[in-house]
Amino acid sequence: MEKPQYNTDIVKSFVHWSVLWGLVAVLVGVIVSIQMTNPEMNFPPYLTFGRLRPIHTNAGIFGWGVGVIFATFFYIVQRLCKVRLWSDKLAKFQLYFFNTTITASAVTLILGFTTSKEYHEMEWPIDLMIIILWVTFAINIIMTIIKRKEEQMYISLWYMLAAIVGVAILFLVNSAAVPVSFFKSYSAFAGTNDANVQWWFGHNAVAMVLTAPPLAMFYYFLPKSTGVPIYSHKISIISFWSLIFMYLWTGAHHLLWTPVPDWIQTLAMAFSIMLIAPSWGSVINGYLSMKGQWHQMRENYLVKFLILGITFYGLQTLQGPMQSIRSFSAFIHFTDWVPAHIHMGTMGWVSMVCFASIYFLVPRIYGKELYSIRLANLHFWLALTGQLLWSISLWIAGVLQAGMWNAMNPDGSLTYTFMETMVEMYPYWWVRTIGGTLFMLGVIVFIYNLFKTAHNGEKTASLAATAEGRA
Amino acid sequence: MDLGSILYLGVTFGLFVIFAAIVIRTYSRKNRDKNETAKYRMLDDD
Ligand code: HEM
Ligand code: HEM
Repeated sequence: MEKPQYNTDIVKSFVHWSVLWGLVAVLVGVIVSIQMTNPEMNFPPYLTFGRLRPIHTNAGIFGWGVGVIFATFFYIVQRLCKVRLWSDKLAKFQLYFFNTTITASAVTLILGFTTSKEYHEMEWPIDLMIIILWVTFAINIIMTIIKRKEEQMYISLWYMLAAIVGVAILFLVNSAAVPVSFFKSYSAFAGTNDANVQWWFGHNAVAMVLTAPPLAMFYYFLPKSTGVPIYSHKISIISFWSLIFMYLWTGAHHLLWTPVPDWIQTLAMAFSIMLIAPSWGSVINGYLSMKGQWHQMRENYLVKFLILGITFYGLQTLQGPMQSIRSFSAFIHFTDWVPAHIHMGTMGWVSMVCFASIYFLVPRIYGKELYSIRLANLHFWLALTGQLLWSISLWIAGVLQAGMWNAMNPDGSLTYTFMETMVEMYPYWWVRTIGGTLFMLGVIVFIYNLFKTAHNGEKTASLAATAEGRA
Repeated sequence: MDLGSILYLGVTFGLFVIFAAIVIRTYSRKNRDKNETAKYRMLDDD
């Protein structure tokens, strides 16, 4: 079969930009964390917690997460389909438009324009930009898959397709709004319907941005890094389809004990618990793929990132279903337990897999060996320690907070005032800032290592072929 | 239960049936081995 000439430049550009947005996300994360312990660090009107928090979440999920999705999907789709990307021009347009959209989002958020829907804060003109961006991406990936030279579709392609279709549907439905001016719109849905649609979107954004794409990357980069195939392709397919069917029904677990109809809440609770099976299907498949290869955990830094990543995914998908049970939710909802859950997912699972994917890509797109494996190992430990400090401190804080909120005196009055419960949080929030700073230092070490790889050293013959798009 | 709720559950059930069909197809004697070839092919030199 004639060897295709792959487009590597576009992968390189998306790697650069996603890493930059990743740095912005963690930097703003540390700032908002400090603002919680030191309210004097709020500088109204622009640099307040309320305005910076959505910049952090959107830069994290869309700048960093989606940026890496663009980079890795463009790399993976060409190799798994054994054809060049369908359109280089479209991909280039997507790159510029991606950065314009993220910048426009950050600027409007800091100016205070917001729909107030979490993870969908941007106003309608930016929604339109996001739709154009996603359609461009979807066309390029789908067309590349259609003209593929490989008959059988490897599991990563399935997850990629699901993410592309899923995000499109969720985003379109949740964007339905009536604009009243250039920067203000009102949701097309009202009351509990609005809440239901918003969290159907919210939790499926977790599925289609923070679960399916990292799984596509994991299933591709783990075997490529270890040199041995995944344990079972059949298990991966069954886990895929069950995950897709089940996620759709779980959104209302964000709305337990609310006026949303009881049966919808119960359905969400039941499906969330069932979701353990497909999630752990991937976790077990990942672990079994390491059979006879566990020594690589010591020798291969890529494997370390990937296996820790899937381990956090496993823990996340046990904790999530627990949180979806009404009685458990009554205890932890609204407490700091929830951000701890989120950051085990975003810092532990999503970011670990993204780091591994970029470490895999950079030597191949520059045609050079990684500058320093020692620095990559240092990065690993900084990320792991930072994430553990972040999550563990806030789990403890969450339980303490819930305990204090629920404490009652014999006469039925509350034992603690709300302010007293807030004051108790300070030590934990400090530990979070320390953990976040360690994680951010890890990101800086990561970027330094990538920069030195790009600018130092000689090209290696085997890697140069990939860099030039010949492999 | 109103009509909306019945429809909601109906769609859920329909999806379950589709899922069962996918499982049966994936593990059928005809496809069982073929399904595994992708994991070896992806390791081929790019
Ligand atoms: C089986 C899988 C999962 C289930 C059942 C689940 C369940 C839940 C529940 C019940 C909540 C709401 C907690 C509350 O406010 O009381 C929640 C929040 C959240 N989870 Fe998970 N989770 C799962 C996996 C994940 C994964 C893999 C991620 C990836 C990062 C993730 C990210 C989030 C985020 C971002 C939120 C916060 C939403 C908000 O802003 O309120 N979850 N999850
Ligand atoms: C240095 C690392 C990080 C730090 C210090 C940090 C800090 C924070 C803080 C202080 C909050 C506000 C919590 C609250 O409202 O109580 C937050 C929320 C959030 N962060 Fe991060 N973060 C970090 C990394 C990330 C990354 C890498 C992502 C995504 C890929 C992310 C996604 C989110 C999300 C989705 C929320 C919303 C949580 C919720 O609704 O409860 N964070 N973060």
